[in-house]
Amino acid sequence: MGTTVTHAPAMEGLSQDSEPRHGPVKPERPAALKRRRRRENLAGYLFMSPWIAGFLLLTAGPMVASLYFAFTDYNLFDAPKWIGLDNFSEMFGDPRWQHSVRVTLWYVVVGTPLKLLLALGVALLLAQKRRGQAFYRAAFYAPSLIGASVSVAIVWKAIFSDDAIVDRTQKIFGIDVGGWTGDPDMIIYSLVALTVWQFGAPMVIFLAGLKQVPRELYEAAEVDGAGKLRRFWNITLPMISPVLFFNVLLETIHSFQIFSSAYIVGGGAGGNACGPADGSMVYTCYLYVQGFENSRMGLASAMAWMLLVAVALVTAVLFWSQKRWVHYEEGAR
Amino acid sequence: MVNGRNVERRTILKAAGATAATLGLAATTGCGGDGGASADGTVTIRYAWWGAEDRAQRINKTIALFEKKYPKIKVKTDFQPYLDFWKKFNTQASGGNPPDVFQNAIGFLRKYDAKNVLLDLSEQVKAGNLRMDGFRAGLEKFGEIDGKLLGVPVGSNSMALVIDKPVYTKAGVKPEQGWTWDDYHAAMEKIRDRTGRAGDTGPYNVMYLYDLYLRQNGKAFFTEDGLGFTEADLKDWWAKAKKGVEDGIYANQKKVAQIKPKSAVAGELSGGEFTWDNFTVRYTSEGKSEYGLAPIPTTDGKKTGQYLGSLMLSASKRTQHPKEVAQFIDFMVHDPEVAKIMGYDRGVPATQAQFDAYKPNDPVNQAIAAYEESLVEAGVLEPITPHPNGADICEAAFLRIGEELGLGKRSVDDAVKQFFTESKTALGS
Repeated sequence: MGTTVTHAPAMEGLSQDSEPRHGPVKPERPAALKRRRRRENLAGYLFMSPWIAGFLLLTAGPMVASLYFAFTDYNLFDAPKWIGLDNFSEMFGDPRWQHSVRVTLWYVVVGTPLKLLLALGVALLLAQKRRGQAFYRAAFYAPSLIGASVSVAIVWKAIFSDDAIVDRTQKIFGIDVGGWTGDPDMIIYSLVALTVWQFGAPMVIFLAGLKQVPRELYEAAEVDGAGKLRRFWNITLPMISPVLFFNVLLETIHSFQIFSSAYIVGGGAGGNACGPADGSMVYTCYLYVQGFENSRMGLASAMAWMLLVAVALVTAVLFWSQKRWVHYEEGAR
Repeated sequence: MVNGRNVERRTILKAAGATAATLGLAATTGCGGDGGASADGTVTIRYAWWGAEDRAQRINKTIALFEKKYPKIKVKTDFQPYLDFWKKFNTQASGGNPPDVFQNAIGFLRKYDAKNVLLDLSEQVKAGNLRMDGFRAGLEKFGEIDGKLLGVPVGSNSMALVIDKPVYTKAGVKPEQGWTWDDYHAAMEKIRDRTGRAGDTGPYNVMYLYDLYLRQNGKAFFTEDGLGFTEADLKDWWAKAKKGVEDGIYANQKKVAQIKPKSAVAGELSGGEFTWDNFTVRYTSEGKSEYGLAPIPTTDGKKTGQYLGSLMLSASKRTQHPKEVAQFIDFMVHDPEVAKIMGYDRGVPATQAQFDAYKPNDPVNQAIAAYEESLVEAGVLEPITPHPNGADICEAAFLRIGEELGLGKRSVDDAVKQFFTESKTALGS
């Protein structure tokens, strides 16, 4: 999180680095020095060229193209037709789009805090020394490792569908409402459960943060008679607040981008890619439907840029808010 | 350091060479277009279709047969489930690399013709590479649009009411050709009262049935460039549907959604449902009961509005081997051996030769054949109404919004409004 200084290989004023290692130390003439430096730059760029080419072709190019498509009517087959802001006005007026925004916001606002709470709670438990610590850490982290995979989403669907294990367990307690994935009101809960279950990655980061808190602080507080809760509130939380900030930021951005799990858990039911009655239609899911099912790439591009803007805004707000609650050590900010 | 400069230059040149080579390599592999003709004149064509494993095995057998007869033509296949198929096809076709020959349906003919994807096969008919004679019941006209032959039918099917036979018997209901919608509603109530099961899954979001109902009343779901009915028509249709769900003559829609992809009939939630006649095969493998076919209810006791639907084979306009593609299609629709392998998997074979070659000996397939023959005898079949560009999106919207209505997520007015809004966008009107 701190500021990093990048040392460009041929930065002005670092001439001592380019001095030959052995041989007589003899000052080079400025012209020769310049020529030599240009050669080094050239070599540097050449070695970077595969990366630069990849970046231009695979990242920058498509982004520029997508920005252009966002202002066009483009169905993949005919040439894109410039329509100005029509895609955006259509998007805002579309009830399905509004619905997808609501579903996504709900998912972010409910899922992310739950996930972080669980991650912090388990990290606090695992930070203490006890037997089998390594095993527990690995076991809790495992779901995050496999979390992005399609197979987990398929398993999830199998667990929460009609007459599957969750449904049968519910029935034991007299709740006969059917599975979650076939129910437009419940399917989103199964997605939240899926993301919360994958709390391992933020947990590991919390663990690292907890290890950094100086023991003396706790000892001093204990001497002063501070209880467990007080110590957590006044020492642990402020000390790990940079880590907390990092996790909040990362998980929020991730949550906004949920796609594969929603697409797989919600898909397959009645030919609708977004769950029964659009119950799990998160933003990216609708984007996919518009782009690939309805062949409206222009509209889909506009939606993608809208998402980018929204995530950027949320990130900006989080960064702005950190002044109030994130505590960095002296001079580390 | 005397020749240090040379060393450096050489290194740089080498690096540059390597980079160029890598990029060059990437460029050649990145370009996936294969002409498909090798030195000995063997041609490879790509064939894509939607379906599942069972169909794949049958199709592979027919291809082996084809390659034996035409040793100079190799066929590469590619298949996905229905929805994924069209996503992949869209992407390939827009990139100028669609499969040479592919499975197609009526809802997509105009769409891809408007996008310049489909080859007009009439040239190949003239050249003698594709025979368009010997088709049953006027099916040869099926893939013709605006004088262009854009698809060749491989099998025909028609809408029917698939029923759970024991349930109908227990309720004492005997549907007959020419029964009316009132008869149908009375039957649904009987089934509900006497068997404790909903009479029907709920016919209101089956687009092809609504099309028949409209045709019985002198309208149609689609005209050549838009919708052939009004908001008031649809309000009427969906209001009856909502009442049917409330009254319990149609199945509990929440349960129907839960058991998907299994059908409500096989899941014993309803006594029957409207669908394509050849789907009976699927119910038989899904459910435990005995399934049969019943005729479509009518408005006036005569007209059912029915037509034969069909899967087709179409070719890409970009194919470099139109002749071989035409030969392939010709073989697939005419060769009797192919019919023996495929059975009624893609509907009842479209050509008389194939129809005669395969005589089913299991009751389900026999029932399908008998049903289609009864349609021909009753003389109820009419020509199909063409589907406009964007029809596939309308169909998806009809299905989805109908489901939302059934699940109580929308009022009738709201559902009708939403459907018309989405359709207008899709049809560009």
